[in-house]
Amino acid sequence: MKEPLFGPFREQGNGKHTLGPMQHIDVPMRRFREDEPVDYLIVGVGSAGGVLVQRLARAGFKVVGLEAGPFWDTERDWVSDEAGSHKLYWEDARITGGSDPLALGANNSGKGVGGGSVHWAAFTPRLHPSDFEVYTRDGVGADWPISYDELLPYYEQLEIEMPVAGPAYFPWGRPHGYAYGPHPMGGVGNALIRGCSKLGIPVCIGGPVAILSGSHGDRPHCIYRGFCIQGCKVGAKASTLITHVPDAIKSGAEIRELSMASRIEMGKDGRAAGIHYFDGEGRPHFQKAKAVIVAGYAIESPRLLLNSSCAGHENGLANSSDTVGRYLMAQAGNVVLGRFDELVRMYKAPPAHALSEEFYETDPKRGFARGFAIQTVAPLPIAFAKQMVAAKKAWGWGLRRELMDYNHWATFGVLGEILPWPENRVTLADEKDQFGIPVAHVSFNLHENDKRLIKFGKEKTFEVMYAAGATEVVQEARYAHLVGACRMGADPGTSVVDKFCRTHDVSNLFVCDGSVMPTQGSANPGLTIQALAARTADYLISQGDAIFTSNRRDMTPPRLRRGLAPPHTWGKGVPRLT
Amino acid sequence: MKSGSIHAGASLRPRDPVTGEALPERAQPGYYPGFSIMSQKAYWDRATREVVEARLKPASPLRFFSDDEAKLWTAVFDHILPQTDRIPERRIPLIPALDERLQENRTVGYRFEDMPHDRDVYKTIGIQAINAEARALYRRDFLGLAFVEQEGVLRAIHDGDARAGEALWKQMSIHRFWQLLTGDAIEAYYAHPWAWDEIGFGGPAYPRAYMRLERGEPEPWEAEERRYAWEGPVASLSDETNDASHHHTEAEQHGHRPGKRQP
Repeated sequence: MKEPLFGPFREQGNGKHTLGPMQHIDVPMRRFREDEPVDYLIVGVGSAGGVLVQRLARAGFKVVGLEAGPFWDTERDWVSDEAGSHKLYWEDARITGGSDPLALGANNSGKGVGGGSVHWAAFTPRLHPSDFEVYTRDGVGADWPISYDELLPYYEQLEIEMPVAGPAYFPWGRPHGYAYGPHPMGGVGNALIRGCSKLGIPVCIGGPVAILSGSHGDRPHCIYRGFCIQGCKVGAKASTLITHVPDAIKSGAEIRELSMASRIEMGKDGRAAGIHYFDGEGRPHFQKAKAVIVAGYAIESPRLLLNSSCAGHENGLANSSDTVGRYLMAQAGNVVLGRFDELVRMYKAPPAHALSEEFYETDPKRGFARGFAIQTVAPLPIAFAKQMVAAKKAWGWGLRRELMDYNHWATFGVLGEILPWPENRVTLADEKDQFGIPVAHVSFNLHENDKRLIKFGKEKTFEVMYAAGATEVVQEARYAHLVGACRMGADPGTSVVDKFCRTHDVSNLFVCDGSVMPTQGSANPGLTIQALAARTADYLISQGDAIFTSNRRDMTPPRLRRGLAPPHTWGKGVPRLT
Repeated sequence: MKSGSIHAGASLRPRDPVTGEALPERAQPGYYPGFSIMSQKAYWDRATREVVEARLKPASPLRFFSDDEAKLWTAVFDHILPQTDRIPERRIPLIPALDERLQENRTVGYRFEDMPHDRDVYKTIGIQAINAEARALYRRDFLGLAFVEQEGVLRAIHDGDARAGEALWKQMSIHRFWQLLTGDAIEAYYAHPWAWDEIGFGGPAYPRAYMRLERGEPEPWEAEERRYAWEGPVASLSDETNDASHHHTEAEQHGHRPGKRQP
C-alpha cells in the first residue's frame, strides 16, 4: 500500500476558512469603524480573549478582538512538523534574565488567534481549593480574592465547552469526574502507570485533557499523531480558535488579526478611551472603545500597561500599587527522561495523557511549602535532542548516538509550584521591537522554597521512572507556563485588578488572562484562565451599560449564564459524578 | 556550501568496536534500515508535504554569511553534528537553515541578557571567540587546525572552559553560546526527513493517524529496529556524554553563574 486509493490527500479547497478538516467559518465577519466606540475592545484573542469575545458578542455587545498574530486557517497554515511551527509562538524580541532566566517563545507564548491554546499540550487539571488560600494556610505566596467554590461552576462549564476527556473519578483537590471518557494510553502513559503503581502512588490515566476522545459536532476525535504543541490540524484538541471564535463571529464579533496594540489611550475623564495599534503593514491606527480588556498573557499584558504610562499614570497604567509586572510565575517543569530496553516510540499519542497529583499539597515533613504534579510529556526529535544536550551534555557523535535511541526513551514532567515573588517581574527594556515599541525584560530568580521543591519533585520523579523499569534516568531542568504579573486582590495597594478583573485604578479597564493569578498551584493554567474569562464575562454582562457610563464598582457576584455558551454545548457527555 | 564533498578519511569515520576498523559510509545510518518517511508523503496533508519536501531540494545561495563565515560555521557544525557515517550525497545541510533564519532576523523569541543578538554572535563575536580559543590552545585560527584539534577547541567551549579572550566572554556567556550553536545545528539536522529515517521517527500522521500506541510496536509502514554496534572515530572527542542531572535548576545545568553579567 504505497498510495491512498484516490491519490494523495487533499483538503477540500472550497475557499472557506477551514478549522480542522470539517469545521469552517463562512459567515462574513462584521467590521466596526475605528472612530465609533465599540463596547468592548479586547487585546489578545487567546485562551481568555477567545472566551471573552464569544460571551460578550453572544450577549449582544459590540466587540472587537485585536490579535497581534494571524487568523489561522488550520489546513493551509499548520503543519505536522516541529521546525515548521515557529509561527505559532511569540517570537518577537524579548530579553530574559535574573539568576534563573526563563526560556520564552515556544516554551510558553502563543501568537495568532487562539494564542497559547493553539500550542498547549491541553492538560486541564483544576486548581485545588488550597490554592486559593496559600498565604492563610502556609504563610507564603498570597490568597486569592475568590474561593474555589466561586470558580467551581466555571470549571465545570468550561470542561463541557472544550470539552475535557478524563476519568470518571479524579481523586485530588475537590474530587470530581469528567463528562467525556478518557483516552487510551501511549507508551509514556503506560510507563507512568507502571512506575506509580509499583510505588503505590495513585495515578490518573487518559486525562484530564482537552482533546476529544470521541468525535464532537464538526470536530473529529484524536488520531494520536503526537503533534499537539505544533497545533492540532485534526481539530481534536481544544483551542479557543475552534471552540469559541467561530461562535463569536456568528454572534457579530470582529477579530482584527495582525493588529499589535502599542498603547492604551486615556481620556480627559480618567477613563480608557481606546487603543493605538499597528496593522500588518506597520500603519498606526486608533480604535475607540467604551471599555478595554487586556488579555495579552503574563508578559504582553504588563508590557502594554507599562507602555501606556501618561500624565496621572507615570509608572504605567493601573500601576498605582507598583504591582504591574511583579509576582510573575513560571512552574518548575523539569523533564525526567528514562531509557528502556524495549521500544517506547513516544511520538505517538498526545504528550499529555496521564498524571499524578499525589504530591500537590503542602507536606510539612518535606521541608518546603506547596508541591508538584508528575505528568506525561513526549518531546519530538528536535526538542528531545536539545534535552540530551542539557541532560547529558551530548554533542557530536554522542548526540547522534543518543538520538538513534530516541524510540527507547520515555519522559515525565515535574510540574512544580514556584511561589510569587515581587522581584520576579516584567519591566521595559531600552530595546524596541519592529514597531518601535519598547520590549519586555523578564527577570526571574528562584528562592529557597522553590529550589527545595524542585529537588524533591525531581528526585521523586526519578524514583517513579526507575520503578517503571528504566535502566538509565537523566533530567533536563526547565520551566513551564507563565502566570502572574497583574495579580488580582482585594487590596488596591498590593494588586492590579479586583476579583472581577477590573483594574483598581481605571474603572473601564480590565485585565483578564493568566497574569491575574495570584498563585499558580501545580496545575496547568489553561482551564483556570478560560474559567476566569467566562466568570469575568458574566460579571460584565450582569453590569449592562454601567461599565460604560459610570465609575461605580458593583461587587455583586454574577450568576452563571449557561445560555451564553457556544451552541450544542449541553446535552452531551456522561452526567457528572459529584 | 556543500560540506564534505569528498569521502571522509577512515580516521574520521565511526568504527566497529570489535575490529577497530572504520565502518563504511551508509546512505541511511541508524537502526531502521529500509524505513523511509518520504514513502508516506501521499498520506500527509498538502501543507506538511510541501514543508518537508522543501528540505530535500537544493539549498538557495547563502545571503547572510559571507563565504569565509560560512566556511567557519560549516566546519564548526560538522563537529556538533558530524555526518561522516553518511555518503556525501546523503549528508544533511545545516548552514542554509541558519543563514535563512539570520537573514530574516528570526529568533527563538527571547535573548538572554548576557548574550548579544544572534546576528552579532554569528557575524562577529562568535567567530572571534572560536578563533581566540583556537589560538590559545593551538596557536592557529580554527580553520587552520587539524580535525582533532578543532574537536579540542569545541570541547573546551562545551565544557565552559575558556582559555582566552576574557574580553569576548564578558560580552557573551560561553554556556549560552554553546546552547545557541547546538540548538541551531539540531533545528536543521533533526528537521530533515533523512534524520527521521535514521532514528525511526514516524513523522507526520495527519490525516492518516497512528494506530499502535503501546509496546513500541511499529505501524504497518514503520520498520523494526535492527541495532548495530559502533563507536566514534579515532579523531573525535565527542562520543561521550556527561550526566548533568545532578543540577536541579536550568541555570546551573547550563552553567549560568548569577552575578556574572556584562556591565
